Amino acid sequence: MVDAFAYVPAVVLLPFFSFLVALGAGKYLPKGGAFGGIAATAGSFLLSLWIAATVAGGRAYDETLYTWAAGDQFELTFGALVDPLSALMLVIVTLVALLVHVFSLGYMNDEGETGLPRYYAGLGLFTASMLGFVVADNLLMAFMFFELVGLCSYLLIGFHFREPGPPSAAKKAFLVTRFGDYFFLVGVVAVFATFGTAAFAGEGSFPALAEAALAGDQAVWTPGGLDVMTWFTVVGLLVLGGVVGKSAQFPLHTWLPDAMEGPTPVSALIHAATMVAAGVYLVARMYGFYALTPTTLAVIAFIGGFTALFAATMGVVKDELKQVLAYSTISQYGYMMLALGAGGYVAAVFHLTTHAFFKALLFLGAGSVIIAMHHNEDMWDMGGLKARMPVTYYTFLAGSLALAGIFPFAGFWSKDEILYEALVHGLNEPLLLGGYVMGLLAVPVTAFYTFRMVFLTFHGEPRTDLAADPEPVRWNVKGPLTVLGSLAVVTGFINMVPVQKVLGLEGIDYLHRWLDNEWGGIDGLSSHHYADLGPYSSGYIAGGEVPTVLVGAAVSLGLALAGLGLAWRLYNVASPTEHTAKLGGIKDVLYNNYYLDELQVWIAYRTEDIAGGADTFDQGIIDGVVNGVSSVSLAGGSRVRRIQTGLVSQYAAMLTLGLIALLVLIGVNGGWFL
Amino acid sequence: MILEALIGFTFLAALLVLLAPNAWAGRLAFALSTVPFVGSLYLWSRFDAVGNALTGGTIAFESRYEWVEVGGRTVSWFVGLDGISLPLVVLTTFLVPLAILSAWTPVDTRQSQFYGLMLFMEANLLGVFTALDFFLWFVFWEAVLVPMYFLIGVWGGPRRKYAAIKFFVYTNAASLLMFIGFMSLTFALGDSIGSLALPEITQAIADGGLETWFGISPGRIAMVAFLATFAGFAVKVPIVPFHTWLPDAHVEAPTPVSVLLAGVLLKMGTYALLRFNFTMLPEQASALAVPIAAIAVISVIYGAMLALAQKDLKRIVAYSSVSSMGYVILGLVVFTEYGVGGATFQMVAHGLISGLMFMAVGVVYNATHTRMVGDMAGMADRMPVTVGILVAGAFGYMGLPLMAGFAGEFFIFVGAFGAPSLPYAPVFTALAMFGIVIVAGYLLSAMQKTLFGPFRLETDYEIGRAPFHDVAPLAVLLAAIVVLGVAPDLFFEMIRDAAMPVVEGVSVDV
Repeated sequence: MVDAFAYVPAVVLLPFFSFLVALGAGKYLPKGGAFGGIAATAGSFLLSLWIAATVAGGRAYDETLYTWAAGDQFELTFGALVDPLSALMLVIVTLVALLVHVFSLGYMNDEGETGLPRYYAGLGLFTASMLGFVVADNLLMAFMFFELVGLCSYLLIGFHFREPGPPSAAKKAFLVTRFGDYFFLVGVVAVFATFGTAAFAGEGSFPALAEAALAGDQAVWTPGGLDVMTWFTVVGLLVLGGVVGKSAQFPLHTWLPDAMEGPTPVSALIHAATMVAAGVYLVARMYGFYALTPTTLAVIAFIGGFTALFAATMGVVKDELKQVLAYSTISQYGYMMLALGAGGYVAAVFHLTTHAFFKALLFLGAGSVIIAMHHNEDMWDMGGLKARMPVTYYTFLAGSLALAGIFPFAGFWSKDEILYEALVHGLNEPLLLGGYVMGLLAVPVTAFYTFRMVFLTFHGEPRTDLAADPEPVRWNVKGPLTVLGSLAVVTGFINMVPVQKVLGLEGIDYLHRWLDNEWGGIDGLSSHHYADLGPYSSGYIAGGEVPTVLVGAAVSLGLALAGLGLAWRLYNVASPTEHTAKLGGIKDVLYNNYYLDELQVWIAYRTEDIAGGADTFDQGIIDGVVNGVSSVSLAGGSRVRRIQTGLVSQYAAMLTLGLIALLVLIGVNGGWFL
Repeated sequence: MILEALIGFTFLAALLVLLAPNAWAGRLAFALSTVPFVGSLYLWSRFDAVGNALTGGTIAFESRYEWVEVGGRTVSWFVGLDGISLPLVVLTTFLVPLAILSAWTPVDTRQSQFYGLMLFMEANLLGVFTALDFFLWFVFWEAVLVPMYFLIGVWGGPRRKYAAIKFFVYTNAASLLMFIGFMSLTFALGDSIGSLALPEITQAIADGGLETWFGISPGRIAMVAFLATFAGFAVKVPIVPFHTWLPDAHVEAPTPVSVLLAGVLLKMGTYALLRFNFTMLPEQASALAVPIAAIAVISVIYGAMLALAQKDLKRIVAYSSVSSMGYVILGLVVFTEYGVGGATFQMVAHGLISGLMFMAVGVVYNATHTRMVGDMAGMADRMPVTVGILVAGAFGYMGLPLMAGFAGEFFIFVGAFGAPSLPYAPVFTALAMFGIVIVAGYLLSAMQKTLFGPFRLETDYEIGRAPFHDVAPLAVLLAAIVVLGVAPDLFFEMIRDAAMPVVEGVSVDV
């Protein structure tokens, strides 16, 4: 029988070939190589489904496929790890990549765009790198592909390189994430030094060794004989640096809104559904390590909760469609981090899944609006698009309801589970409870900015001629929107934990069972194992589990509806006006993103000042000493230059002659010429 | 005899080109320079060395003829290869033809002399990397300076005289210091050596052959010799604070000369440090591990900060070499498999990547006649292929995975972090690693300003695409960088084999 796992490398390599084809022959192909990309991602998607089905059939895969450097000290390898988590992620990534490729046909090719081969090459390389990251079986390989997706992000954000904005945004994106990746790389190196391996799975994997070391069954290296727990916490936080950068968490989130300079399909694929998810996925991938260190978990939860609220507040005042979505992306990844920090491994993966679909949907919907509006993104120039582009409207609405967390759309279920996990575990952990409160406060804000966006864009009267007569979009736009729109409605049903708990229906929490290796998986990589490792105990309010579930869900749904209602009152009118002025000084703070971008620019300029100072020092002092010494030794006076010139020419000539004479002498002496 | 044939052929080629007419000297030089490359590939295919040439390993292509006896010690023609020198020989023969191609456009006077000197330099470089007798090695080492001096001084930019003199005097003074230091070592070895062969000297020192000399204890002589040779080689590498000749030399040197200067000549310094200081005198190296690691870190960070301050593209790349060489020093001083092996690998990787960067900047310069960041913008619009490769090379420099630079740097980092012989190794490593952020900062912002945005450059002519013979070497280099990044074990395997005896030279009390 043919084994699906034999095709894991093909999943990664197919998009890589489409990259090569688009790069090498794209300009000779129709649509700049788009069809190669579509075929490749479709192939990867089908293979991923097959692989996921094989995992569901009770199997898993963990093989080293290539030895990169076979040292004695460490063996550095590439391999593939396919378990329920990575199989799920493979399906998500390939599906979104496929839909984005199709959508690009409408978005990019209809605009008479030049440089399409470059675009499709970038998409192909990105997809390949992302898939390589997903199947990575060790931390080094994960880091390598993590960097490669960063490169692709840079190239695609800066796609319109002839304009001033995109190259600048691309630079910022790479640099800010590189800052996080620095810590990640130190973490990778530290993992090797500590454990001698960076494998994710198996007996000899680093999470397993860390578990044994904490139990006292395994000796590991620590710097300066540091306490094992402290050192593991440090290592966990170092790796977390990369996560915070890539998943755009506070304080390294600033690159993501700027990254909206990239083409909208790129935003959907890279800056919403997949690359930004890489950070969260990484924490989930090595959750067996993170679960061991309570401090790290608390930090993750707090960063996540804070980011969820912090980013949501900025989304409230933005005027551009994609900006709202960018801040909402940051905020939603904050929720996932909150879940991971709160011990809600399944909840985080659940939200990652639903968010990937509904946020990709919202970005592609925004892309459809942007096509219709001839690349005007200002929501105040829109209005009334509902009647003129119904497919976009209804799918966008589905995505918005999911994002706002309205029952029964996908986002409701996943966000609810996150808040539930944070609550029950947080009742015994003050820091976690803080994360929960911030996450809860972000709920109405999210619903408010989401529906502000919906009403301003689609409802009311058209506010410009463009909005009154938008450019029609074709099947290649509507198709992906319809697929994702359906997913935004139904994805939540894969994991209806509240229903199960309240109604006592056993077994409908499919995602829990999936991630708990109920069908198949690898020992040590199951949600139960992580729960056993984790430091948390559950507390309940209102006297038990079921009431807690109900109260939690009711509170978050009520808050979401309140936010939605406020948006309805303020913006669902024929000619809405700006209400942000009512916020007074707060508006400026929010509009300027709490001045964090200014702070980072300030840091960059101060660094340049220091560099300038170093340069002056180098030219003046260090080189000055060199020149001074040489003038003293060679001439000791003012006519250094001329004398030096004369001297050195002779010097060089003498050196050459001397060497030749010496050689001849030696030759004669040694009897060479006889 | 194959190494003699390789070096001899290159000398002959230099002579032939020198006598050829200017009109086709470039083509002849390129054609002739491919022969040593093919030869080095042959060497690679037949390579059978085991261990380190200096510590008693099996030497590949060994060839030894005694010349003379000086003061009771024989001087011989003694050449051979091990896993450390073969990659550098391949690097040299690979870079020279590409550098010669890249000279076709910019070099338009006295071509036969130019290409003749390039080949003459190649021959001497091959000598440096193959010689296993100190005297022979020193002759080649010094002889490299002469063509370099003329290449900068004759074909260089406006301040070429100053730069050439500075290069020559500075590195020559350093050689003198090194020579004295090394000679005192050989004198102190007394009767325990009968020749100036490097393996014999290394093993004599390891066996405790150093004697009291003029009332100076062996330990002190070894330390003085270590410091003198270290300082001498530090200029060549260059290590901060001995680096100031480098940017001047690079800025004035024509592109192909910069390619060889950064690509190969700097590696003479790190190669010599590895051979002499870290292989022959491991005890001293390890006793001085903390200060050496400190200057390595300073070289990385300070060099990167200087690069950040520059406005001239070539100066940026030049200073970033200082930074990259700091990694090499860190890798050497930790005495681990991945540290020393990674340092050697990084020599090759950096040779390719800095070569590519200088070449790509040179191609842009050929078209724009300026290298200043503020003078141009949006070059990607006019020279898409060149700029594409330049961007790829810049990412290689930033340590993008699956390119050679990442492999070298990661090997060094992973070898250094937990190194038992270096106190505070994690701190030094983590500090040095911050270089990967700064390098991204200056390269990305330089690229944004010059390559992207709306096109802007004041010229009275149209900027066209670069000719094929300018772009082809860039593509070849890029391909090599990717191949080595994907499959570093092509070289790293033999490097590790030769590096292990060096690592074992330091005993660590854990």
